[in-house]
Amino acid sequence: MDTSVLTRNNVRVFGQGTQPMLFAHGFGCDQNMWRFVTSAFADDYKIVVFDYVGSGKSDLNRYDPERYSTLSGYAEDVLDIVRALDLREIVFVGHSVSSMIGLLAAHQEPDRFARLIMVGPSPRYINDPPYVGGFDRKDIEGLLETMEKNYIGWANFLAPAIMKNADRPELSRELEESFCSTDPVIARRFAEATFFADNRADLPGVRVPSLIMQCSDDLIAPFDVGEYLHRTMPNSTLRVLEATGHCPHMSHPEETIAVIREYLSAR
Amino acid sequence: MTDRLSDVDIGVDSLLETAPCGFVAFADDGTIRAANATLRDMLGFDRDELQGRRIESILNIGSRIFYQTHFFPLVKLHGRAEEIFLLLRSKGGDDVATLCNAVRRQRGGEWITDCVLMRVRERQKFEDALLRAKKAAEEANEQLELQAMELEMSEQQLLEQGEELERQRALAEDANRAKSAFLATMSHELRTPLNAIGGYVQLLELGIQGPITEKQADSLARISRAHRHLLRLINDVLNLARIEAGRVEYNVAACNLKELADAVLPMVEPQLQSRGIRYSLDIRPDLTAYADHEKVQQILLNLLSNATKFTPTNGSVAVTGSVDGERGERVRLVVRDTGVGIPAERLARVFEPFVTTKAKGLGIGLAVSRTIVEAHGGRLWAQNNERSGATFRFTLPIAQAT
Repeated sequence: MDTSVLTRNNVRVFGQGTQPMLFAHGFGCDQNMWRFVTSAFADDYKIVVFDYVGSGKSDLNRYDPERYSTLSGYAEDVLDIVRALDLREIVFVGHSVSSMIGLLAAHQEPDRFARLIMVGPSPRYINDPPYVGGFDRKDIEGLLETMEKNYIGWANFLAPAIMKNADRPELSRELEESFCSTDPVIARRFAEATFFADNRADLPGVRVPSLIMQCSDDLIAPFDVGEYLHRTMPNSTLRVLEATGHCPHMSHPEETIAVIREYLSAR
Repeated sequence: MTDRLSDVDIGVDSLLETAPCGFVAFADDGTIRAANATLRDMLGFDRDELQGRRIESILNIGSRIFYQTHFFPLVKLHGRAEEIFLLLRSKGGDDVATLCNAVRRQRGGEWITDCVLMRVRERQKFEDALLRAKKAAEEANEQLELQAMELEMSEQQLLEQGEELERQRALAEDANRAKSAFLATMSHELRTPLNAIGGYVQLLELGIQGPITEKQADSLARISRAHRHLLRLINDVLNLARIEAGRVEYNVAACNLKELADAVLPMVEPQLQSRGIRYSLDIRPDLTAYADHEKVQQILLNLLSNATKFTPTNGSVAVTGSVDGERGERVRLVVRDTGVGIPAERLARVFEPFVTTKAKGLGIGLAVSRTIVEAHGGRLWAQNNERSGATFRFTLPIAQAT
């Protein structure tokens, strides 16, 4: 077992089941975001949670700007973990951008994945008429600006480098508790990889059955996007949640759990 | 205030209503439960217009994404958020920069996030300036890194060019040494048979091997002249080769320049007289150089015979000598003629070997002369005169008065 990957990505495994459920967090957060739903599946599944390199408590020294400049680099993280733990028959649960990261990973090793559960997915955030993604490029630039403004007070904002806080662990902790990402440069690059991505061409070829969990009134992944995904991905199921917003697993965990459970039991 | 009971229920009392900061309370699904008057004024909304809206509807688009990806997970996971920068959107569509502190807690039977929003104006300007400066610094840094890379590359190229030059210089030196050695050997090898020719011609001319006819004597005289000419050319080449190879010894001593010039004159006098060229000499009788007498004589003879060759009938050739240098440490000899001068394109090159303006000769004399002068620590140079002819000057160290 390649344990270096497990520490690199701060992988945690728990639960009584044998079939793995691999939960992948979205941009701006870390594995903690899953804590309201994972316990509901721990009796029946082997739960695997992790942080992408650059997020949460991952090993920032392993951050490679080139690898993580596109989503395929993040998909490599997923595959590294899958191989290190030799996971098979995986139920992959990805929030937001991780839905597409999971899709890319499933393209690489389709035989290891049993189901793709996508929470608030979008294959492309920027409008490309007639395709509606919900945003214009300048909106994303607005996000990048807002992020920058929120990083101004950070210790390493003016001298960005992959944080080497071995001598000041309290600083790392403090930052982890703020935005789940400890380096503004990494956060910005993740934002660009996420919001400037276009994975529409990867949709038709997917062999793994998928569940699209579409929130009501989700600004980040509008209803049209969920419909587009359902239309384009073979073997996909579209479920529209009553939950509003973009993070139903945090704002409406009960409904999220129920919809996932129903989908998995219907097999 | 009686019609504002619902606000009071959720915690907006009259004090909070007009507190000097915006206040908004919303549920987990983003529905706004209450807002105070300060926030409504900040955004241009009327009373009761905000209740029931989604919190995202009063954020600009960038901040809406930030709210979903950062802000909401933060308050949900940690129960609070501090100093979050958010751009609000007013009813009229304008951006309003604020800093937000939030706490999420259970109130009135549901989870509510209470936010205070401080408007930032001046601070916003400073932060914008800071960000601009940061970007400029990053760009400048990139530029510098690029330039450093270019410099490194050109340094490498220079190093390579330097090595190449050094290689070529070594090659050129080798070639030059080989040339000198070749010339010395060849001249020597040519002289031996040439001396034999000269010797046998003399034997024939003297009639030792039998009487010769007048016609034969005439032919032998021609052979003899040609032999002497060829011998002189070969001697010149040999001389240059030896000088260039540094194989010449200098016997340096005080030498009186007027006497030296007087001794050279007879060697050119026949030509001067036959062409009607005026000759003048102006050297102080006590002017003395510290030099190799024989070699200085050779130089002066070379310059005088050149001057004579290039000066037409009825022209003039003048030799002058004087003390030279700031402290009188040198002597200077000048040979000036009224001849045709030196073509401009040749002026810089007349001291190179085998460069000549004469129809006859190898063009070695001036090269040898300059090498000799420089071996004495002096200088030899040429100029065209303003009206006609050329002037050659050379300097030598002066002999200390005894």
